Amino acid sequence: MVRLVTHNLLACHAKDCNTNNFPLVFQNVQLEIREAEFNSDFIRNFLPKIEWNALVKTAYELGDTSLPQDQPEMVDDEFLKNLHHVLFEIHIIEGGMVCPNCKHNYPISDGIPNMLLAEHEIA
Amino acid sequence: MAPKAVAEVVVDLDPEAYETQNVHAIYDKIASHFSSTRYKPWPIVTKFLSELPDGWIGLDSGTGNGKYLPLDRQGKIWMIGLDRSINLLKNAQQAGGKAREVILGNALHHCWRGHAFDYAISIATIHHLANPQRRMLAVQCLLRAVSPKHGRILIYVWAIEQDELSKRIIPQGECKEVGSGKDVIVPWVLSKETSPQGTNSPEGEEKQVYGRYYHMFAKGELGRLVTEAATGLNLIIGAADGQVPSSEGVEIVQDSWERSNYYVELRRWSIP
Ligand SMILES: C[S@@+](CC[C@H](N)C(=O)[O-])C[C@H]1O[C@@H](n2cnc3c(N)ncnc32)[C@H](O)[C@@H]1O
Ligand SMILES: [Zn+2]
Repeated sequence: MVRLVTHNLLACHAKDCNTNNFPLVFQNVQLEIREAEFNSDFIRNFLPKIEWNALVKTAYELGDTSLPQDQPEMVDDEFLKNLHHVLFEIHIIEGGMVCPNCKHNYPISDGIPNMLLAEHEIA
Repeated sequence: MAPKAVAEVVVDLDPEAYETQNVHAIYDKIASHFSSTRYKPWPIVTKFLSELPDGWIGLDSGTGNGKYLPLDRQGKIWMIGLDRSINLLKNAQQAGGKAREVILGNALHHCWRGHAFDYAISIATIHHLANPQRRMLAVQCLLRAVSPKHGRILIYVWAIEQDELSKRIIPQGECKEVGSGKDVIVPWVLSKETSPQGTNSPEGEEKQVYGRYYHMFAKGELGRLVTEAATGLNLIIGAADGQVPSSEGVEIVQDSWERSNYYVELRRWSIP
């Protein structure tokens, strides 16, 4: 599955594509919402590792506006639950992820993103 | 079962094309049978994962059927599986009966934002790369994927030095250079009933044999590979203690043999 937790780690790796290559932009996506067990400790630990702006931007693009633009200083349960939903419950099943810089499209099929590039497409 | 003979080979094609034919195509064909035989985690991997701090995110590079993905300590740590075989990933996607995050990708290519992970494992995968340069690049990919401050890495590869319990017969020829390892083809026997198209043939008939390419590592070779990879990234090899300010390095905390495999555990460090 591609969820936003994974999307937040992926970057374009095409040849000479080193700047503005993150976050990849979802395109023509088919989503599925599936409940996942809420684990507030994990989310708290995970929080500092997130690229916040990329996560919020991507969630907005997928129609989820529950997260604040700036990471809040006080973390309450409602915030953690929204974050949990955005990171772990939105599954992208079909579609693609496009590099904002070189426009390479990484297709997603049956929930598996294809990040393969031919060797000549790679730096 | 009779021991399976392992034959020495010479990689005679461009290594990428060679791997496509002799590794990736094969795993895609044997995926479901392979998957049904791969469920027992190796204890050293289990131990490595059990000692990671809560909340750490990791990469399993060459996840196969995702055997290690369920060892996430009930969600206390997180792990993303990457593999070149789409058919194995279809199993990995549901490893342990839960939705897992998996990526179709190449262990040689770094498709992540820099240092995005806290840890990475690569179990029985780097030995499928068909020359020393590519194996070194795969190690560099792992080093680049993890945090420069605290990243931990565990790598396992197949050894020339085999366990007596091993079912394999290894060719006895001398290695060309000391510690250079051996390139071999390892057969995988797929009977019709376990093959994807296997339908109406009587039991045991028409066995298909698929050969997978492996580089069997010699003693000391994995440690040298890591040293070369780290040096290429300007990392100091050794412990963090006593290093000068603004230096970065990697410590090899274990370099050992277990049950027909060599493994290393690495820890990255940086001093501000
Ligand atoms: C022996 S299996 C090990 C699977 C798993 N790590 C385990 O221990 O059960 C080797 C795996 O490496 C994968 N592999 C080989 N070369 C690869 C590459 N260049 N990039 C990604 N995966 C690769 C294969 O598809 C296969 O799933
Ligand atoms: Zn790009």
